[in-house]
Amino acid sequence: MNDKIILKINNLHMNFGALEVLKGINLDVYEGEVISIIGGSGSGKSTLLRCINGLERKNKGDIIFEGKAVKRDYTKLRERIGMVFQHFYLFPHRKIIDNISLGPRVVKHTSKEEAKLQARKLLEKVGLEDKENVYPAMISGGQKQRVAIARALAMNPDIMLFDEPTSALDPELVGEVLQVIQQLAKEGMTMLIVTHEMGFAKEVSDRVIFLSEGQIAEMGTPEEIFENPQNENLKRFIQSIY
Amino acid sequence: MTIFIESIMAFFEVAIKFAPKFLPAVALTLQLSFLSILLGTVFGLFVMLLKLTRLKVLEKITDVYISIVRGTPLLLQLYFIFYGLPMLGLEFDSFTSAVIGLAFHSGAYISEIFRGAINGVHYGQEEAGKAIGMNRLQIFYYITLPQAVKQAIPALGNQFIIAVKDSSLASVITITETMLIARQFVAATYNPFPILFVAGCYYYLIISLLSFGLRDIERRLKVNER
Repeated sequence: MNDKIILKINNLHMNFGALEVLKGINLDVYEGEVISIIGGSGSGKSTLLRCINGLERKNKGDIIFEGKAVKRDYTKLRERIGMVFQHFYLFPHRKIIDNISLGPRVVKHTSKEEAKLQARKLLEKVGLEDKENVYPAMISGGQKQRVAIARALAMNPDIMLFDEPTSALDPELVGEVLQVIQQLAKEGMTMLIVTHEMGFAKEVSDRVIFLSEGQIAEMGTPEEIFENPQNENLKRFIQSIY
Repeated sequence: MTIFIESIMAFFEVAIKFAPKFLPAVALTLQLSFLSILLGTVFGLFVMLLKLTRLKVLEKITDVYISIVRGTPLLLQLYFIFYGLPMLGLEFDSFTSAVIGLAFHSGAYISEIFRGAINGVHYGQEEAGKAIGMNRLQIFYYITLPQAVKQAIPALGNQFIIAVKDSSLASVITITETMLIARQFVAATYNPFPILFVAGCYYYLIISLLSFGLRDIERRLKVNER
């Protein structure tokens, strides 16, 4: 982590019809930083993440990536910001290796050989080099999520967004996915992680954000958030979990 | 008893005698079916693409087209193209009219089949494509369409089978395909049963082969399932 701000979120508002989901979020994300976003259901965690890469459109405020405010050019932005979904969303009609190499080939026009080579390296990195030629339906949830991470990494993103990456997994499969994310953190990847794995958040994060009713109710180091919470909602939230 | 056996013998004698005479007409049925399926699919895809542009004008036009095709009998549509359009100065020979009519007809159903299949692809697939920086066209071509085509195969196969049988209606605009030749043979011999039996066998054969091919395609497309 260094002191360069890679992503700045300014007064972000978002509503679904009359329902206000985000009510003015301000956040500076430093390069190499790992931020966990926690909060109850409906607090706006996922929406915040999805607004950053434009899967949901903000109603007000700015997303500033590397000093430039994002206007309508979300497609370009998404090449630089990887995302991992709760339900993986692998492409079922493509083999594992093609799931990973499709982005570079189609979006970056990388040659077939080069994209495959890179995909193999990524598969090795997530420990699935033997699954190259099978289809997504033939691997476990934990393996799928690791492929999804590799698919996002294949675009060489500057930031990775994780939207509850382990929430859809059987308990015994959670560890293998968290391990990959932890490895990325060690390598200095900038990451925003929406998670319910408090132990993991504590361990991996530089900062933890507690969202409540569409606002950042509290933000601090894992120690501050988990050992010495100030906000009443946060206290209740932490109590309900332990 | 002998009368029964004799009449059966006579039945098959006529059937076997006339079976080869059907061949040119069966060839026409095959041509009509093939062209109406091929052009109908191309046309259906095109109409579906117009609909996907989400432009109000194009959407309206495709809606009108689909409602007209679905709201009137194919028989009437064929009459209209063959007898009606020449009055507007658009004249086609009977074979072209039939192909246009059949393709125009199945195109409407096929576009709806494709549209349904595309809507059936999980929205997460589109989001996953977006998340790796693909644009709408790339997502459609590399992610949505291949999955939709697979979803569409069973319904599409059904429509293809219907198209084969619908080609028999081309007989009303003077095309000597299987049904018309059967009627001519019946008129000449006053012996309808063996002749209609032969016609039925030809249709059954064509459709059985088509079904077999479709099942094979379905099986091949299943490799990515468990």
